[in-house]
Amino acid sequence: MISDIIAIIRDYWLLLLIGQYPNGPLGGLAATLMLSVLAIAFAFPVSIALALARLSKSPLLNWPVSALVYFTRGVPLLMLILWGYFLVPLVTGASVPSFLTMLVTLVVYQGAFLSEVVRGGIVALGHGQMEAARALGHSYLGAMRYVILPQALYNVIPSIISVFVSTIKDTTLGYVINVPDLTFAASQINNQLLTQPFQVFFILAAVYYVICWSLSRVAVLTERRITRKRAGTAAQATAKSLKLAALTDQPS
Amino acid sequence: MSSFDLSEILGNPEYVSMLLLGIEMTFVVAIGSWVLAMTLALLLLGLRYAPGPVGNAFVTAYVSYHRNVPTLVQLMLWYFGIFTLMPDGLTFWLNDHNAEAIFAVIGLGLCQAAYFSEDLRSGMRAVSPGQLEAARALGHSYVSAMRFVMVPQGTRNALPALINHSVSLFKNSSLAVAIGVAELTYAVKEIENLSFRTFESYLLVTILYLVFSLMIMTVGAYVARRADPVRSGRA
Amino acid sequence: MNTIAPSKNSPMIELTGVRKNYGNYEVLKGIDAEVARGEVVVICGPSGSGKSTLIRTVNRLEEIGSGSISCDGNNIHRPMPAKELNRLRSRIGFVFQSFNLFPHLSAIDNIAMSPIRVKGVARDVAYAKATQLLERVGLTDKANAYPGQLSGGQQQRVAIARALAMEPPVMLFDEPTSALDPEMVGEVLSVMKGLAADGMTMMCVTHEMGFARDVADRVWFIDQGQIVECAPPEEFFSRPQTARAQRFLSELRH
Repeated sequence: MISDIIAIIRDYWLLLLIGQYPNGPLGGLAATLMLSVLAIAFAFPVSIALALARLSKSPLLNWPVSALVYFTRGVPLLMLILWGYFLVPLVTGASVPSFLTMLVTLVVYQGAFLSEVVRGGIVALGHGQMEAARALGHSYLGAMRYVILPQALYNVIPSIISVFVSTIKDTTLGYVINVPDLTFAASQINNQLLTQPFQVFFILAAVYYVICWSLSRVAVLTERRITRKRAGTAAQATAKSLKLAALTDQPS
Repeated sequence: MSSFDLSEILGNPEYVSMLLLGIEMTFVVAIGSWVLAMTLALLLLGLRYAPGPVGNAFVTAYVSYHRNVPTLVQLMLWYFGIFTLMPDGLTFWLNDHNAEAIFAVIGLGLCQAAYFSEDLRSGMRAVSPGQLEAARALGHSYVSAMRFVMVPQGTRNALPALINHSVSLFKNSSLAVAIGVAELTYAVKEIENLSFRTFESYLLVTILYLVFSLMIMTVGAYVARRADPVRSGRA
Repeated sequence: MNTIAPSKNSPMIELTGVRKNYGNYEVLKGIDAEVARGEVVVICGPSGSGKSTLIRTVNRLEEIGSGSISCDGNNIHRPMPAKELNRLRSRIGFVFQSFNLFPHLSAIDNIAMSPIRVKGVARDVAYAKATQLLERVGLTDKANAYPGQLSGGQQQRVAIARALAMEPPVMLFDEPTSALDPEMVGEVLSVMKGLAADGMTMMCVTHEMGFARDVADRVWFIDQGQIVECAPPEEFFSRPQTARAQRFLSELRH
């Protein structure tokens, strides 16, 4: 069994790492990581905008975003990917690589998710900070920029890392539209070998485990650091952080 | 392609019965794995509190694996991997009894158990230790203090997380399509293939998922409210 | 729009017929009062009397139902662009019961940030001023400490310095010592006394009757949304006119 696994890794490591590249699109682990990093990088600014819109008093801003958040919370990501596959080419008018479709879908999905995290971070600060900044003459956006967001975003760094881990796990669903990622590479190997499915999927699980476990550790350590740094200032309500954790820490 | 027309799907008895079968299978998978997950979660929680380091180490490893490997890969490992290693007799029996659905329930249930058990544990940890001390000071035994003071508060703390994770379990039942379970997402792809009505079939199924998820959230919110003595007006 | 330069004799703060409701509950039932330039007014009254609401309306942290409030010649509650309100607010110092220091900034950054970001003061000027203010509140050695590392009394003194950094002609204090341990009350009050001695116009909600006796020019006693008594401290403490004020003072002594 173990010798099978070593043999598979020896024969197919390059396929697992970069897919068919340079004879085909970049795939494998490289594509998985690139997709995840790009998704979170775009989702982050989107999420701040969505959070501010959802906190705004104007129903014109607040309603569509609330609807989007409920939509993404209530519909399986798989369904959203199918939608993306159907809609993105309709909007762009051209055939689009599945990688890009997946990226757009993930940005919308994780952007909505992350916006709840950011909003939670802002709400958890309480009214006092905003009031103090307004009393000093800051505008609403100025207070957000210099007082609220620096604190809120710092406090939710661990949750952002958790969302990043979720994103990595979510990229596996790209298989429905044939995104050439790590899972896709493993399926290809399985189709070639036919006789060793357990060994192939075991390797796949192990690779994801190592990456996600390491990142989760980073999240835990960051959280401890932040808690230590915050010690002495007003403690955050436990209930609030519990709710926040439930939001970010999703199986996928 | 002709214009938007839902009746193309809802007016066709064949498609409607495919939808209904899909809904049924989605619920079988979701409810089956929820029950399995909750049962396992309670066992895992018990193991956590069991004396000695072995139980705790096992649960830590269990939770770590199930949280850090994508659910889809877990399902694939079960269905494409572990299934093939099973003895022939068992394989035949499973194949006669919808093996896909059984492995979906096992895979999703085992994965979700890790989340549920952690939700319950954080809920318990959020109860102030002063509560246990106060109960012991009043003369409660450890078990009685747990039963009447700690566990009620711990479960109440865990409710929001449990509800959220129940919704995501329901959504994740769609992953079962990857191992060939004929649930709702499977049905929509079939209907789309047969009818060429992509927009309509996606829309219908999306609405169905949304309605069921919102129902779970609403029931969850109601349960959470009932469990809160202040907000339910019992205090 | 030309604002008429306020004359030296006009009051710093003028409240006219100020009313406010929370739903059916009337918190402020028509407040008419003035604070002269350089005057120190202490507002006291039982909890729920509306005193905190009143002081918060003066820089429009709370809206009012009717009436008007002017500060340094500006009508605070008139409809105006957000920019204008921000400018007016920056000219009214406000100190909170719960300090509300910005925990992500060091003490000196707390003080210097708003002059830079709101008023566009040059960095070196703002930091020089902040250093001066820290000295004034006796916290020179804490310039680089974060709020989480400071005691309550130290935090409140930084908060006062932060408000002063905007160079407001008037300072409002909303129960500045209520959240403090008793041994820290004195250090905050002495900073406030220093301010009063320098001629700052101050409005202060507090239960520190010793402070009122020593520093206040007048005491407003508020009950059920109205100013019931308004007198110099020696008069208010020795000869309260109304039964309500008498009861309040006797309860405070016990």
